[in-house]
Amino acid sequence: MSCHLPKTPKQKSENNYKNSINIALAGNPNVGKSVIFNQLTGLSQTIGNWPGKTVEKMEGFLDFHGYHFNVVDLPGIYSLSTYSIEEIVSREYIVSEDVDLIINVIDATNLERNLFFTFQLLELNVPMILAINQMDLLRKRHIDINFEKLEKIFKLPALPLVAIHGVGVHQLLEEAIEMVVYHHPHLHHGQRINKRSKHHSHEHSHRERVHKKMTSRPYLKYEFQFPDLSNIISFGKEVELKIEEIVDNIRDNQYIRANSYYPLRFLAIKLLENDDEIIKLFLHDGSSSKIIQKANTFRNELEEIHGEDISTIISSEIYNNINKIIQQFLIIKSGKQAKRISIADRIDHLTTHSLFGYVILILVIFGIYIFTFSIGDFLGGILDNWYGFWTEGVYSLIGENSIFVKIFWDGGMGGLIGAIGGVLVYVIPFFLIIEILQDSGYLPRAAFLMDRIMHSIGVHGKTIIPMILGFGCNVPACAGCRIMETEREKKISIVLTSLIPCAATMTVVMGLVGRYLGLGWVVFLFVINFSVILIIGRILNKIMPGECTELIMEMHEYRVPNYSVIAKQTWLRSKEFIFRALPVIVILGIFLEILVIFNALEPVNLILYPISVFWLGLPVATGIFLIYGILRKELTLVLLALFAENLGLTLLELLTPIQMIVFSLVTMLYVPCFATIIIIAKQTNWKYALKISAMEIAIALLIGGIINWGFIFFSSL
Amino acid sequence: METSLVKCLTECEKGEIVTVISVNAGYKAKMRLANLGIIPGVKIKKKKSAPLKGPIEIVVKGSSLVIGRGIASKIIVRCKKECEF
Repeated sequence: MSCHLPKTPKQKSENNYKNSINIALAGNPNVGKSVIFNQLTGLSQTIGNWPGKTVEKMEGFLDFHGYHFNVVDLPGIYSLSTYSIEEIVSREYIVSEDVDLIINVIDATNLERNLFFTFQLLELNVPMILAINQMDLLRKRHIDINFEKLEKIFKLPALPLVAIHGVGVHQLLEEAIEMVVYHHPHLHHGQRINKRSKHHSHEHSHRERVHKKMTSRPYLKYEFQFPDLSNIISFGKEVELKIEEIVDNIRDNQYIRANSYYPLRFLAIKLLENDDEIIKLFLHDGSSSKIIQKANTFRNELEEIHGEDISTIISSEIYNNINKIIQQFLIIKSGKQAKRISIADRIDHLTTHSLFGYVILILVIFGIYIFTFSIGDFLGGILDNWYGFWTEGVYSLIGENSIFVKIFWDGGMGGLIGAIGGVLVYVIPFFLIIEILQDSGYLPRAAFLMDRIMHSIGVHGKTIIPMILGFGCNVPACAGCRIMETEREKKISIVLTSLIPCAATMTVVMGLVGRYLGLGWVVFLFVINFSVILIIGRILNKIMPGECTELIMEMHEYRVPNYSVIAKQTWLRSKEFIFRALPVIVILGIFLEILVIFNALEPVNLILYPISVFWLGLPVATGIFLIYGILRKELTLVLLALFAENLGLTLLELLTPIQMIVFSLVTMLYVPCFATIIIIAKQTNWKYALKISAMEIAIALLIGGIINWGFIFFSSL
Repeated sequence: METSLVKCLTECEKGEIVTVISVNAGYKAKMRLANLGIIPGVKIKKKKSAPLKGPIEIVVKGSSLVIGRGIASKIIVRCKKECEF
């Protein structure tokens, strides 16, 4: 793949930071950005959060031709406005000092809309390469692109790519070296390259090639300056004059120039557009707020002249500009375009059908549940057997009563096995399903079908995506809430998703109520659970600040999932879970065991007595089972069964039917499992995660108590 | 000779190709739609609408977009169907 050049020892030692190039991948959603990212960075990827934001930051690195590339995969967005947090994060990052170069990934089959984003990126004056992806699909439609023309128009390098087959991916890096090395000569003291130092000691054949390429393309300057593109990005005269005047005003403002990385023209356009983030910047002092007033007046004038909203005016200008240039580089080979109904179209038709669509949706939910459960249960069982086997060994070797064994084996190892066998084995197959559903394009169809129904909860269709995932496992499902555009939707979705009964919860409900009382009562519990979701959704929608947004979503065509991307994403997310959640669960296991050793659990049961026994009407021992259930939910039933076994009773003898119902219901609702709480905290913050947990405990206790007391009341009548 | 029909997107029939006249949604939604290419003068095709009075799928500039019914009802379009006769 990457052809490493021989490095001199000296170069190696000072290599890492001096020759590093920071790239940001930017583009619309579903253009193959993640495929390119995967091919570039392989397994070096990490997922983190953007500082202070709930947006995921995907980072990776690679070494190529003696340079160290840091690659950041920006979230897929359509614009650089403030519609979503992703857009704000992206534009702030792009203009920051951290970015040397943008690779703008463009879907060749959807040029107009993709170029809309490109035109916005052009306003940021950051060195950029246009990566035109899915060229194979475009050519299938008998359309081609004249890249020479394209480069001449944009005065920037443009490359054809077929990313899923790896075509053109590494040329991107060569192009990147070419641009960045000449743009930032100061980054490379030891090997500064300019026209005269062609025969510098560090000269490599690669550089010669680059040089040849450069001389053959004179529009790429050695000292890279962002090209003057005013001939293609300028708006109509009356808009342009207003922008120029605002720019002149900003130019004189010392504060703004010192505190903003954005180009002046970008600031001016955003002021005209009434962009709240940029306006915040200008609210600093009198002179800069005068600029806001000027922009406001201009906006009103323009809206008056055009009879349109400013966002419509500017967007129309950009689309006009795109239409002007697009014909210059598109080559349409034959007038006839065979219109066949493809398999993808047929699947689309079926999965959005007003009857079969819902049948398929239900099958998918069941499929997720069965797949996650059967694989998880199978692997978990093996692990438990293994743990049981070694536990006997350890007990006979060191002794069952040694404190050391209790803390580290029963607590630490038990917690670890519990976390792996109870959570991880469910999480990994589940991540796999999510990636497949996501990559193939099914999930937006579910959102399309469910939008109307979700509106009755007070959210729009997209929320169904994490909720469907929640039936498998709440942990990745809550992480999946990041797809929601606004903070408000994200927070509401997280709460609703954490209330979905996951595969582990289902084992408790089925193993207790389903087994002893029949499926009718399982349905009863489900009705209660979903009513809670409905009511909570409506309440949150009322009390959360901000307005309820409506669904606006792209529905891309079905495609065969890319297995390499899926495998890498699954591994990446599992890895993240292993490193973040497992240690906490192990520590918690040790902590619980210490409580057992010091007999602190009896008092816990006593403390819980008013709740567990009086209010919920459950046996006194169940209090601690419910505490354990936070670790992994099916533990509540496992421990209960063990307890009954120790007493020589069956569960039917131990619990009354009403106790079974209350116990299952509380397990379903009372609190997200610990791994979920950690993920929620990561997606939002700890305060919010604890708030949700507290709220859900309160709801579970409330409804559990109502059922218990309701039963007592009605039976006494 | 203005025989064309003005109506909102929700009233269009499946498969109908119409021209956008105006979008009367709120600031954010309008901006989003404009960014996605739904601006006055653009031709869009209504692909289908979801059951239960659900959202509407349209094709604009060659790609499919799903729009909630609330917003779709605020997109005013002109259909040229009648002019062809």
